[in-house]
Amino acid sequence: MRQETAGSVPSVRHGVGRITLEVRQRLPAWKHGLYLATSLGVGLLISVLVLWASGVGPKGIYEEFVLYTFFNAKGLSNVLVECTPLILVGLSAALAFRVQFWNIGLEGQLILGGMGAAFVALNDYGPPEIRLWLMLAGALAGGALWTLVPLVLKLKLNVNEIISTLLLNYVAFQLLQDRIYGAWQAADRFPHSAQFDAGIERLSRIGFGDVGTGIYVALAAAVVVWWLIDRSRFGMFMTFVGSNARMSKAVGLPVTAVVAGTVLLSGALSGLAGFVVVAGQEYRLTAGFAGGYLFSGIVIAFLARNNPVAAVVVAFLLGGLYVGGQSIQVFYNLPAGVIDLLQAIVVMCVTASELFVRYRIIWRRQ
Amino acid sequence: MGTALSLRDISKSFDGRPALADVSLDIEWGKVHALLGENGAGKSTLMNIAAGLYAQDEGRVFFGDTELTDNDPRHAKSLGIGMVHQHFKLVFPFTVAENVLLANPKGGYGRGLAETKRQIVEQSGKLGFALDPDAPVDSLSVAEQQRAEIIKVLLGGARLIILDEPTAVLTDEEAQALLSTMRVLAGQGNAVILVTHKLHEVPAYTDVVTVMRGGRKIETIASKEATPADLTKMMVGSALAEIKHRPATEHGVVLEVQDATLGRADGAGALNGLSMQVRGGEIYGVAGVGGNGQTELAAALIGLKSLESGTILMEGDNVTAADTRTLRRRGVAFVPAERMAYGLAEDMSVASNYAIAGVDRGEFGGPLWTRQGRIAATTQTAISQFEIAGAAPTTRAGLLSGGNAQKLVLARELREDARLLVVHSPTRGLDVRACAAVHRILMEARDRGAAIVLISEDLDEIFKISDRIGVINRGRIVGEFDAPADRHEVGALMVGHA
Repeated sequence: MRQETAGSVPSVRHGVGRITLEVRQRLPAWKHGLYLATSLGVGLLISVLVLWASGVGPKGIYEEFVLYTFFNAKGLSNVLVECTPLILVGLSAALAFRVQFWNIGLEGQLILGGMGAAFVALNDYGPPEIRLWLMLAGALAGGALWTLVPLVLKLKLNVNEIISTLLLNYVAFQLLQDRIYGAWQAADRFPHSAQFDAGIERLSRIGFGDVGTGIYVALAAAVVVWWLIDRSRFGMFMTFVGSNARMSKAVGLPVTAVVAGTVLLSGALSGLAGFVVVAGQEYRLTAGFAGGYLFSGIVIAFLARNNPVAAVVVAFLLGGLYVGGQSIQVFYNLPAGVIDLLQAIVVMCVTASELFVRYRIIWRRQ
Repeated sequence: MGTALSLRDISKSFDGRPALADVSLDIEWGKVHALLGENGAGKSTLMNIAAGLYAQDEGRVFFGDTELTDNDPRHAKSLGIGMVHQHFKLVFPFTVAENVLLANPKGGYGRGLAETKRQIVEQSGKLGFALDPDAPVDSLSVAEQQRAEIIKVLLGGARLIILDEPTAVLTDEEAQALLSTMRVLAGQGNAVILVTHKLHEVPAYTDVVTVMRGGRKIETIASKEATPADLTKMMVGSALAEIKHRPATEHGVVLEVQDATLGRADGAGALNGLSMQVRGGEIYGVAGVGGNGQTELAAALIGLKSLESGTILMEGDNVTAADTRTLRRRGVAFVPAERMAYGLAEDMSVASNYAIAGVDRGEFGGPLWTRQGRIAATTQTAISQFEIAGAAPTTRAGLLSGGNAQKLVLARELREDARLLVVHSPTRGLDVRACAAVHRILMEARDRGAAIVLISEDLDEIFKISDRIGVINRGRIVGEFDAPADRHEVGALMVGHA
């Protein structure tokens, strides 16, 4: 894909009529930012037009997506609730992507994380005072465990992890079904588990709407991941392995261990997302508690360029989009797909900005 | 017969580094013309100009009576100039016929494909080999893929066929079959150019040979009049070996390789019982034509590949099974031939690339906190010490020029306590000044007592700084010489059949 070199090769040209693309050798950071901001702006503009065409006028858009979402206590607390697991799956994806391991199994890992927490909670393992911590540990272990098979397959047999992690999502979902229709089914015979014990097995509220202490868990995870990537030795190895694995090997880095450690950690973070959902929002295992987090996690990591701090910001904004989206579904009677559409438009526009970052576009007159 | 291609006073330079200087060449119809020279002699550049891939800086290109101005690959192809590149341009996983059709589209897909299949069978029959048009190209052997490339070029209407190092990837039998095919093509009235650095292919299979060296044409003579001795002399030059500025000081044996064997992916042997011994304080030059096991030797010494049999001893300890990490901890350093692939992470900063090995050793803080400030300061010192031009610690490594990128790799690898340096083609693509700097740096490391294995396809370089020279041919050291060695003896062993 990447054709740029340090000058020894003449720039590659693609002739498309009179438009020529030339590979850029160098792009200042401010220009890079400008292209990114412009493409984001274009994406938002198209999104506004789409909403407008669906009957939500500019005033409605402003109210639903800005005023009642970010500048209103109820809305803002909902955004924080929404973004808590989003931060974690975003970090999870960003970590794995940094070592070029395309973890498409976020949802499976999240389910296993939720199940790990539920396993501890439903069996009342350990003293009540530390029950939540044990649930958290169970979630981390469950999520990490679910990356183990794809990881070993990839490292030993070079099996494509995109396929293996993706398929394990379905396996995880079936396992969940097996539990909530089986051994863990609640006494009311609905397809969900019994409720976790209040005051012992639930994350408490922080006193701002429905926002729970899960948000602290997510922010703490973001700080840890930032430290890991930006400051620790392991993080520097990680970045090298992701940037050039052959070189990393030749320079003597423990490439396999770095990939394995990173991927297990990625799985653990998705598992942690499962924990904050089941222990902080649902208070039980439900059939659909993991729905949609795969796509969101990938979108967050992509838009944040695998940067943990940016991932928090993107997750927050995406949370706002979902909260605003829920109210326009109700008040304007629009299908849920509209929100996916808006997300996709923004992602595509940001992707398109890559073209301008990589190439200089020249119009030649004949 | 008449002249097919005429190149007049061609000059070409890349970023100010001359690749070709005033080269003139005439290719005649009905003949196989060998273009002989060492790596970097300018053969491929010249052919890429003829095929329209590069534009010459100066000079003119004629095909028949037409002058090719503003040449490009499509134009060259339409006139009948076809090139089979060293790296094949086939699209996996499509079939032979689909690949040929892609390069030479005709009409609709269905009818075009049927017609193409018929032509492939007919054409391969004429050339005397079988090629299944329905075979997916990735199921073919390298030799068969090459045949597919040749058929593709011929069905594209080529009458001048350029083969760039076609035998480099073939076994001896396959190479002979290919060379016979070239004779058939010439017999049909086409012109064939065989770009090669293999001497022994010249007398038996070609009519005319042109020798190039250092971007210049040395001579064009009839192949049957060319003796191997003459050709060797023309290829490697008659420069006398330079006197060493200082003899190596005696140290103990650092590296010993015994009967190393290592296979290649295609089953051919890359190392076939290679043995060598290198002492501390000496530069051991491994001379050879590319593809005789140099890459595998470097990979084995640094632990990137493990030997199938044989032993590697380092300072008396058996390190045959040691991985790169272990070897590096023992003081092995590596300057790879492909510096952007194996030497640097081009998306990362100069400072990160410089410091990564030190970070691993704990020189820039513990595992929990990497001291970026100290990295930047140390890198700045290295930048001045190694004269890495145009680099700040924060510069992206991929933006460095070849010479400066190489200096960066050397700056990282050449530590005071390096015991063994494996250096592969360290000056490839560098200008004279950078070459001299790299050589000086290597000599200094030698004087500190390091053992240096210098693997290079550039004989000048080998002769300039080696204390001993081992000639590698078909995966083994076939002769060793103490400097100053006789260049022609070395050259003869390099190109001879071992």
